Amino acid sequence: MLYYVVRRVGVAVGLVWFVATFVFLAIHLVPGDPAELLLSQGGVAPDPAAVTDLRERLGLDQPLLHQYAAYLTALVRGDLGTSLLDDHPVASEIALRLPRTLELIGTAALLALAVGLPAGTFAALRAGTASDRALSALAGIALSIPVFVLGTVAILVFAQKLRWVPAGGYVQFGRDPLQHLLVLAMPASTIAVGLAAIVFRMTRSSLLEVLGRDHVRAARARGIAPARIIMHHVVRNALTPVVTVLSLHLGSLLGGTVLVEYVFNWPGLSGYLVRAVELRDYPEVTGIVLVISILFVLLNLLVDLLYAVLDPRVRHA
Amino acid sequence: MLPTISRRVFVAGAAALPFLRIAQAQARTPGILTFGLSSYPPSIQPWANTGTVKLMIHRGLLSYDTKGALRPELAETWARDGSTAWLFKLRNAVFHNDEAVTSADVKWTLEQIAAEKSTAYFRSEMQGIDRIETPDQRTVRVVMKQPTATLSQWLASYHLPIISRKSDATQPIGAGPFVLKSQERGVALEVEAFPKYYRPGLPKLKGIRAIAYADENLRVAALQAGDVDLIEYVPWQSMETISNDPKLRLDATDGPFMYLLFNGTKPPFNDARARKAVAHAIKREDIVKAAFFGRGSPLTHLPIVDSSEFFNPELKEGWKYDLTLAKKLLADAGYPEGFRCSFLSTAQYGMHKDSAEVVQQNLAAIGIKAELNLPDWATRVTLGNRGQYDLAMGGTAADNNDPDGLANLIDGSLSPSYVRSFGVRVPKIEELLKAGRAEFDPAKRKTIYKEMESLAIAEAPVVGLAWRSQGYAMQRNVTGFKNLPGALSFNSGLTLEETAVG
Repeated sequence: MLYYVVRRVGVAVGLVWFVATFVFLAIHLVPGDPAELLLSQGGVAPDPAAVTDLRERLGLDQPLLHQYAAYLTALVRGDLGTSLLDDHPVASEIALRLPRTLELIGTAALLALAVGLPAGTFAALRAGTASDRALSALAGIALSIPVFVLGTVAILVFAQKLRWVPAGGYVQFGRDPLQHLLVLAMPASTIAVGLAAIVFRMTRSSLLEVLGRDHVRAARARGIAPARIIMHHVVRNALTPVVTVLSLHLGSLLGGTVLVEYVFNWPGLSGYLVRAVELRDYPEVTGIVLVISILFVLLNLLVDLLYAVLDPRVRHA
Repeated sequence: MLPTISRRVFVAGAAALPFLRIAQAQARTPGILTFGLSSYPPSIQPWANTGTVKLMIHRGLLSYDTKGALRPELAETWARDGSTAWLFKLRNAVFHNDEAVTSADVKWTLEQIAAEKSTAYFRSEMQGIDRIETPDQRTVRVVMKQPTATLSQWLASYHLPIISRKSDATQPIGAGPFVLKSQERGVALEVEAFPKYYRPGLPKLKGIRAIAYADENLRVAALQAGDVDLIEYVPWQSMETISNDPKLRLDATDGPFMYLLFNGTKPPFNDARARKAVAHAIKREDIVKAAFFGRGSPLTHLPIVDSSEFFNPELKEGWKYDLTLAKKLLADAGYPEGFRCSFLSTAQYGMHKDSAEVVQQNLAAIGIKAELNLPDWATRVTLGNRGQYDLAMGGTAADNNDPDGLANLIDGSLSPSYVRSFGVRVPKIEELLKAGRAEFDPAKRKTIYKEMESLAIAEAPVVGLAWRSQGYAMQRNVTGFKNLPGALSFNSGLTLEETAVG
């Protein structure tokens, strides 16, 4: 078991190094010069001497290999560097924004489960009926509406027409808890719509599959109450694939909520990444991608180790 | 026992929801203006970057009034002193640290801007200063190396605020109407009124909360929903709706413009006739319609606004749409069948992409097959600076409404830049610009710039396409805010000191 753990951790560290190197190279090879861009804000033509001086000050005049070595050394010390724009530490900005994105995704996941699970169970139990077909059709529609369309319509209806909620933005929880939840509601619901449809579909098909198994038939034959069969023998067995699929989607949402963050002006990690790429703020781009990929790798590592605990065959493979 | 809710009660409750206005959604503090910005300022470095937030916190020696004329700020009066010197008398003003604004601060500021390793926008202009004399605390004498008529225009720019010589690199101390109170990086920033601001009774507001709304549609939605009082960069497609809304007011001016740039280091555009052929082949009304929803106007001459004293009505149609002439020019240049060329624009901004597509179609009519290259903005800037294109789309505003503000675009002696054509040099234009800068007599300046414009129309170092409307929109109860005319639109933050809400 120890050998297995050591090997898996080794692979994880290697993966992180690979991502760090790849992101570093990729962002440096893309055309666009941060010093030039920084001094060209507002469409002005900067003095080339000023650009050269800034490049020198930011260390961008060094050979790429030097920059890479400095970057890796800092990384090993846990230092993600500072923004080229205003010297703001990248790590503290990520620490500020990552929880916001996690909050958005977490709330969306809870909403999706709250709607998708009961609806999926309901549809599976009434498979083939009109209400099942109606729910499935609804899920199809929910899946096919792009989030930016949904978000824009939600803003039009709930913020502009009904004026129930602000049109977007962010308010710190400590500043005003109610307002915080109000501005969270729309973006979280927008992400939840698509997720709920996925949960619904997975629950429905997984439940149908389990419902047809022998142990369910046997339970019925033993005269166990239908509600008890559903709760104890069907849903629990059917949940595993639902949770797997949902967690995969949540993982990809970490860097993928950009459209929702943009439409609702939610200052999370995805929007920060896009802005950093636009400005070619190298330390910010590498820092954010690295943190996201470390979260991914950690998640995978955790799952792998869990499998090993659960299933002895994995350990010896 | 838990109370039970009947279905009827539930339905009645749900139906009542729309009438329960959540007061928190539009919570307001009296005297505080909520301003929807188009982006969070990249940094509040006083001598670079965009202006609106800086104009809340800082003031320079001079600025502009709502008609676009120079007005005194920290300098109470200013006058020429001999052929190369300017004399500024400072008013009784204090910085945000309560210390008086003195001639030493002005000297220190200008020297910092001109210093080696400075990254200030006006670095090279300020390097034209020979010396700065400070005979007393309130008098500054700036001696230029050469006669410079445009110094007062430069000193009015929002890129040239005067800051205290006690400022450190991260904490610039200004003397503007508002003091920076807090910053939530990337989200919002707050300023509060500076009680010792030098204009009595101003600012009228207690403070401003500026929130960045990067998505233009959300910015408009936030205004319509009442979340914000004032927004900048009103998207053209929303201008109609906003003007028709009785609760809102639109203030728009034709200031920035779109134009074409050329690579003059290689054929075909090293030939002025080929450049001029392009100028006459474009139906500019289509650009105004397609990219700006009709909110702009065709630009068939150099971008000098028609309200300017330097506007030349007889040159107004200099690059008018004329297919026959375009084809003739192309044939004269040796391309009777047209040619292929690369056309650089960007997909990141709709106006750049839409304008480029119209130009591409128009050019096809005279046989020029322009292949569009639409990278992101950062790449567009780099490719532009290196001249990796034949034809390129540009969009900007002049530094000010003085024709010298156009030097940035057409002075080929300046360093290569994505805002200028690459390697297109017209020595006579360069000479005239220099002469205009050194000439103090208004009538003579007018003649110089008229000659310069007619030469530019003949040589087409760049080609004007369209003015675009630059708009601010606000709630009806916002008063005192004014969009400054023409190129000065980006200085409109100056009027925030006069702005009141409610």
